Amino acid sequence: MSDFPITLIFPPQAHFTQPYMGLACLKAWLQEHGFDDVEQVDASVQSYDHFLSADYLRWAVRRAEARGDLEQLATKDELPFADMDTFRTAAEVAVSGHVLAERVEGAKAVLRGQDFFDPAKYVPAARTLFHSLRIVSAAWAPTKLTPHNFTMAYSIDRSNEVLAATRDEDQNPYLDYFRTELLPAIVKRNPRVLGMSIIYGSQLIPALTLGRLVKEALPDCHITAGGGFLAYIGEKILKAPALSESLDSIVFHEGEKPLEELCRAVREGTDFKHIASLGYFTKNDQGETVGIKNIGGHPISLNEAPMPDFDGTPFDSYFSPEVVLAYDVNRGCYYGECSFCTLPTVIGPGYRTRAAETIAGHVKAMREKYGFSNFNFITDCLPPGMIRELPEELISQGSDIKWWCDARVEPRAYTKQGAERLYESGCRKLLFGFETAVPRLLKLMKKGQTPKRTLEVANNCNDAGISVTFYAMVGFPSETREEARETLAMLQENAAGTIGPNGKSGPLREVSLQTFHVDEVAEVFRDPTTYGVELLPDPAADLQLYHDFNANAGMSQLEASEMFDEIMAGLRQSLPLFHEDTFFYFTQKSHYFLHLASGHSPDEFIEHCKRRGVARQDELARTASGDALLDLEVVPLTGTCAIPFSYAEVTRRLAHPLARAARPDFLTGTYIPDLELRAAEGIGPVPSNPQKKLVLAYSPGSTEFVELSKDGEAVLDALRDSGSYGKLLQALGQPGGPERERLDHFVLGLHRAGLLFVPEHQLTAL
Amino acid sequence: MNADSTNPENKSKDETKKPEDAPKKLDLQNLDLSVEKVEERISPSETNVFDK
Repeated sequence: MSDFPITLIFPPQAHFTQPYMGLACLKAWLQEHGFDDVEQVDASVQSYDHFLSADYLRWAVRRAEARGDLEQLATKDELPFADMDTFRTAAEVAVSGHVLAERVEGAKAVLRGQDFFDPAKYVPAARTLFHSLRIVSAAWAPTKLTPHNFTMAYSIDRSNEVLAATRDEDQNPYLDYFRTELLPAIVKRNPRVLGMSIIYGSQLIPALTLGRLVKEALPDCHITAGGGFLAYIGEKILKAPALSESLDSIVFHEGEKPLEELCRAVREGTDFKHIASLGYFTKNDQGETVGIKNIGGHPISLNEAPMPDFDGTPFDSYFSPEVVLAYDVNRGCYYGECSFCTLPTVIGPGYRTRAAETIAGHVKAMREKYGFSNFNFITDCLPPGMIRELPEELISQGSDIKWWCDARVEPRAYTKQGAERLYESGCRKLLFGFETAVPRLLKLMKKGQTPKRTLEVANNCNDAGISVTFYAMVGFPSETREEARETLAMLQENAAGTIGPNGKSGPLREVSLQTFHVDEVAEVFRDPTTYGVELLPDPAADLQLYHDFNANAGMSQLEASEMFDEIMAGLRQSLPLFHEDTFFYFTQKSHYFLHLASGHSPDEFIEHCKRRGVARQDELARTASGDALLDLEVVPLTGTCAIPFSYAEVTRRLAHPLARAARPDFLTGTYIPDLELRAAEGIGPVPSNPQKKLVLAYSPGSTEFVELSKDGEAVLDALRDSGSYGKLLQALGQPGGPERERLDHFVLGLHRAGLLFVPEHQLTAL
Repeated sequence: MNADSTNPENKSKDETKKPEDAPKKLDLQNLDLSVEKVEERISPSETNVFDK
């Protein structure tokens, strides 16, 4: 170990499908500039791996059940909105907690192995992990950890709440995790500088939790943090001196140069005054802690920057059978005009790029070094010249990779021939900013594109074999419901599998839909009048990034949220990839890409998924026709649990846009108190129904939650005890007439719901 | 394995009883035999556009 160890950490919560690139870029740069002992830790994937383990889930069930929520709620005559989430969580723990603990390791193995490529194995495994995270969350309620988010009952836009969250032993799962799993290794290594990369709001509380623990354990270690999210709110953090409990400094925008200079200053004991793009806490003359932000620095010459160094990355920990390496082909956006977008600002001023020759050389070298041939090019968009040059270089250098990236609609570059060359170079998926079908809104957004040209580009790419995703937006200021429906109609008309007037199938495979948010860097924030928006200030929110607003025309934020549901419902009907639980592939972008990279065309992939549905329908048809009806058995490990309220009804009510708005938003992480009241009024309580005793069932094979009556549970028990439906009928003395018809009908219903199976069909095995 | 060893109302049975133990008494005429599969909830937080 050197005399100047540096540790770089990607804190929870972030994606678990592929390694994060930023640390690898920083590690490579620091090593090239005199710091040879740089360790990188993906604490996000490691914590997911820890939480999603049999032992942890068993512990989580015990902790959640010890609260006795279900028993307490059972004494109520009606379930108010405020208790609905607690009820749902407690019911899920009771019925599925133990069985998920039995299944979770198998589910991870499916996602990490070749069974990943079998939809009959993948979908239940993915659902098992989703459901297991609900059990983890239940232990720390009302905290929620999902595959894409982490929220607590604390707002992340208030520094006092963030700080309180970092200390909350009851609700912050990372305090315990860091203390027992991560901190001992950090203390042993004793780094002189610890850097954290915070790119999502969901990482803020965990990162500051870790920072505080490390500062307590290693007072001489300098704790710094950077990353996209801090580019937005870093200055505000510097104005909240209490957060110096967790951080010593903040690196703004591009991290390489300021981090290098910071490490040098710490090593040499010099001050930080001249380190461009750095902010830091210090003491003023009165001995008070104050934050200082230095001037911004110049970006590095990206083409000269070294190849990202992923050494030490825990490749086996990711929940994917093959690693997709991330690589930054450029930084910033060459277009930079869109009035809603502030993404280019997070990586510093201006647009800079690596040369196509450099990119091709690097990815080839990375493929040879790490043995992975799948890449995610990190870019806001490729300029037209690069769209033409990059494929040529990748092909001529024999890069032999498959790749995907975000893209801007460039009709001159994404021609038929251009798209074909992209495909030949390994491009399998492109995500374009479509946003809306309405020309008036496109103009207001300053997108500089038309729907017609966007569809031309999409068709060219699709014809070449590249899977096309559109980013779309709902709720841009002044957008009306009719305009949003116009957008939905155009997306549906162009969905893959939908035959258009020209007799061809549409080009669109996926839509990544987002509701519009106003952030502080956006043009809409700077010039609200032009966009007909009145911003709603919240002076207590000292770390606020996203702002609520009233729109003078068009949909309100709540109406936009309702429209989000309407559009998603429409897309789930029209896009084959969104049908039923094939949708799980969409929720993990890399996972769908891996199927494309393995050699499936987008159409073949859909056919592959459909085969699972067809096999299921065949089985249902066989039992319905009476063929295999008597063979039906209860799926092993199926659990049941008495519930005082209808789980199905509570789930329906919690899906109401008002209810969703009252919970922490996935981007802002904020609770809005008056929305909680409005939701309670608008949604109303769920009454108990003592006459109809309800039971919740969970089948680990189909991973479905099913609501039955107490009578239904009795039949399910009898079925299980008898061994099969045929044997049950025998034991019942072969009832006939209407009784038999009712029983058949019920058993078929249980089969459709996934609680029964035909033993010869091993659809349920993970 | 029991879903909740402390609550007799909750159960998860993979063990199979002997056929002679089954069935319990079932009043087939008056049973409430409803089945509702609860639709998987997928919220915006499961479709984060910036995620991988």
